[in-house]
Order: sequence, then structure tokens, then C-alpha cells
Amino acid sequence: MTAKDIIKITLNLVIIYVIGGIILAGIYAKTSPIMFRNAVIEKETALKKLMPEADRIEKIGDWTIHEKHAEYFVAEKDGKPIGYIIQSFGKGYSSYINTLIAVDTEFNIKKIGILGHAETPGLGDEIEADSFQGQFAGKDPEHMKVLKTDTTEYIQAISGATISSRAVAEDAVKNSLNFLRKTIQGENSGHVAN
Amino acid sequence: MSQTEKISYRELIINGIFKENTIFKLALSLCPSIAVTNNVRNGVLMGVAVLFVQVMVNITISLMRTFIHPRIRLPIFMLVISGWVTVTDMTMAAFAPEAYKQMGLYIQLIVAFASILARAEMFASKHTILPSMFDGIGMGAGFLLALTVISFFRELLGKGSLWGYQVIQAKPLLILILPAGGFFAVGILMAFFNWMNTKYEGRR
Repeated sequence: MTAKDIIKITLNLVIIYVIGGIILAGIYAKTSPIMFRNAVIEKETALKKLMPEADRIEKIGDWTIHEKHAEYFVAEKDGKPIGYIIQSFGKGYSSYINTLIAVDTEFNIKKIGILGHAETPGLGDEIEADSFQGQFAGKDPEHMKVLKTDTTEYIQAISGATISSRAVAEDAVKNSLNFLRKTIQGENSGHVAN
Repeated sequence: MSQTEKISYRELIINGIFKENTIFKLALSLCPSIAVTNNVRNGVLMGVAVLFVQVMVNITISLMRTFIHPRIRLPIFMLVISGWVTVTDMTMAAFAPEAYKQMGLYIQLIVAFASILARAEMFASKHTILPSMFDGIGMGAGFLLALTVISFFRELLGKGSLWGYQVIQAKPLLILILPAGGFFAVGILMAFFNWMNTKYEGRR
């Protein structure tokens, strides 16, 4: 390899890096604000959907489950709390299922929503279906038990996807509600004592 | 370097779609063709992403073909490919966030597609811009067509829906949207495609 070759190779790489870098930086500058805005909007609409009657939803704290960071919120209407929304994760068949759970002030479930997961398409992804999520309405953490038989009192498993059903009900929902109840009630009794 | 014979653009596109179809003929890039084709929307988006990357890479390489030192030819091809893949990746994340969530990983995997590097090395580095562009369009369109056909059958028969809309109220062949079913779908369609091809070529 001659000196000429070395110079040419260096020049080749420098020019390609510079041009490539400029193009990528330009596109990143254009797309990153959109991505950021999308994420914010997505979260807001997810929260709104779970608690449509609330006029204000505010974050009140963070917690961790399966070493993942999650948040919880209080939903207010006319300045009075009408319920809470908590984010949670359940260990499913092939992913951690990112769940949102809305409860009233008595910690009975109003609605749940799935934010993200990577369960088996066609089987585990039925957790997104209304027929599964609808079962949670009005139940408390004690009834978060997945049965394979017909049940209205507990949660009925999706056929072929018991693991994913369990992950949502017995892992994500149950654990987060127990945590929420302990935290909120702990806080409230603390206030009374003061 | 310079090709004296005139290459017909139509011939180039047909070559990419039928004669050298990436999936059905060359059996390359089978990973995404199985991983993302369990619904039509993802299949089509993946195909469009590959089409875009293939065309842009072919154009770029063809523009630079006299300027690149032969010794660092391949690293430079990889740089160009990963550059265009990153562009696609960022654009998709911004404008199709829902689909990106499901297939972001596979978009980044386009960097390692044998078919794209092969076209850059075998075609674009030896031809001028226009033929390279049409070669890219042909190869990309062949890939897009293959992914669309595979995902059409997988979603329709496995989930009973198309593009997310329920078409039939049943799941005739649930196995098709599971990974194993992906191999079945690709294999059966590949056999069909080749059977059609031999029949057509035989008549000609």
C-alpha cells in the first residue's frame, strides 16, 4: 500500500463520515421533537381513556416492579379525588406486560388498559381484547385469580394464553393494587394521626 | 466498469420481482419475512422500508463508485447502508409510532440484509445511477411483493383480519401467525412461486 492509497482511504472515510453525519443530524433534529411529542400524547390519551370523567390527572409518585420503573397518578374531579391510576408490569410468556389500572377511591377496579407487550400474536395478544379487559371492572385485588373454567367472580383465562392472563391479573394488577392501597392508606392514616 | 450494452429498465425491474426475487428465489432475508409478516400492515411497511433503503443505497454507491478505494469497498458499503437504515428508522419512529413499536428491531436489522449488500457490490458499484436506481426499485419491489403476499395469507387465515380489520369471524388456521406457521407460509408460497415461474418460462 502506497502513501497515495493511505491518503485516498483516509479521505474516503472522512468525507463519508462527514456527509453521513450531517444527513443523520438533520433528520434527527427533525424527527426527535415529533417522537417526544408522540410519547407525551400517547400517555395522556391512555390516562384519559382509563378515567374519562376526571378533569385533572396528576402524577403523585413512582414505584418499581420487576425492577422496572412505573408511575402512579391521582384523578380528580372538581378538586376532589375520584380515583387513582397506577402503571404496572406483569411477567408474561415472552415479555413484561405494561399495564395501566384505574381504581376508584375504594380500590375497586374501574378499567384496565395494556400499554405495551410482546406476547404471542394470536394467543397472548388477546389480553388487548375488550372481552378480557372487561372482566376486571368492579373487582378488588382479592378476586384477581385466573381460572380456566367459566367464572364471573374471578378472572377467566384466555384459552391458550393462561400465562399471559395470569401475568396481567395475578401479577401486574394484584401487586400494583396492594402497593397502592398500602401507600395511599398509609398516607391517609398518617394525616389523621397528625 | 462501464457497460457498453444498453440495459433495459423494464428488464431490471422484472428481474428483481420475478427472476431474482429476494425471498422466493434467492431465499435471502428470511428472518424479517417470518418475524414481521403476521399482519399485513407490518409486512407492507417493512417492504416499503427495504425498498427505500435498497434504492437509496444503490444510488449512493453508484454515485461514489469511482471515488471509493477498492480496498475499503465493503466497509464503506456497510456505512452507507447503516446510514440509510438509520434515516428510515428515525423517520418511522416519528411518523408511524404504533407500527414502529412492533417492528423497530427488524427495521434496524435491515443493515444486515445480504440482499442489499449484494446488490450494492454486484450491481450498483459497476453501473451508472439510473440503472442502479431501477435495479434497486426492482429488488425492493420484489421484496415488498413477497412480504405483502405472505402477510396477506398469514393474517387472513391466522387471525381472520386484514390490516387490523376483522374480515371473517373465525381463525381458520391459527398456526399461521405463530412463528412455525411463518415457515409453512413462506415454504408453501415459495413452492407455488417457483411452480408458476417454471410454467411461465416453459411456455416462453
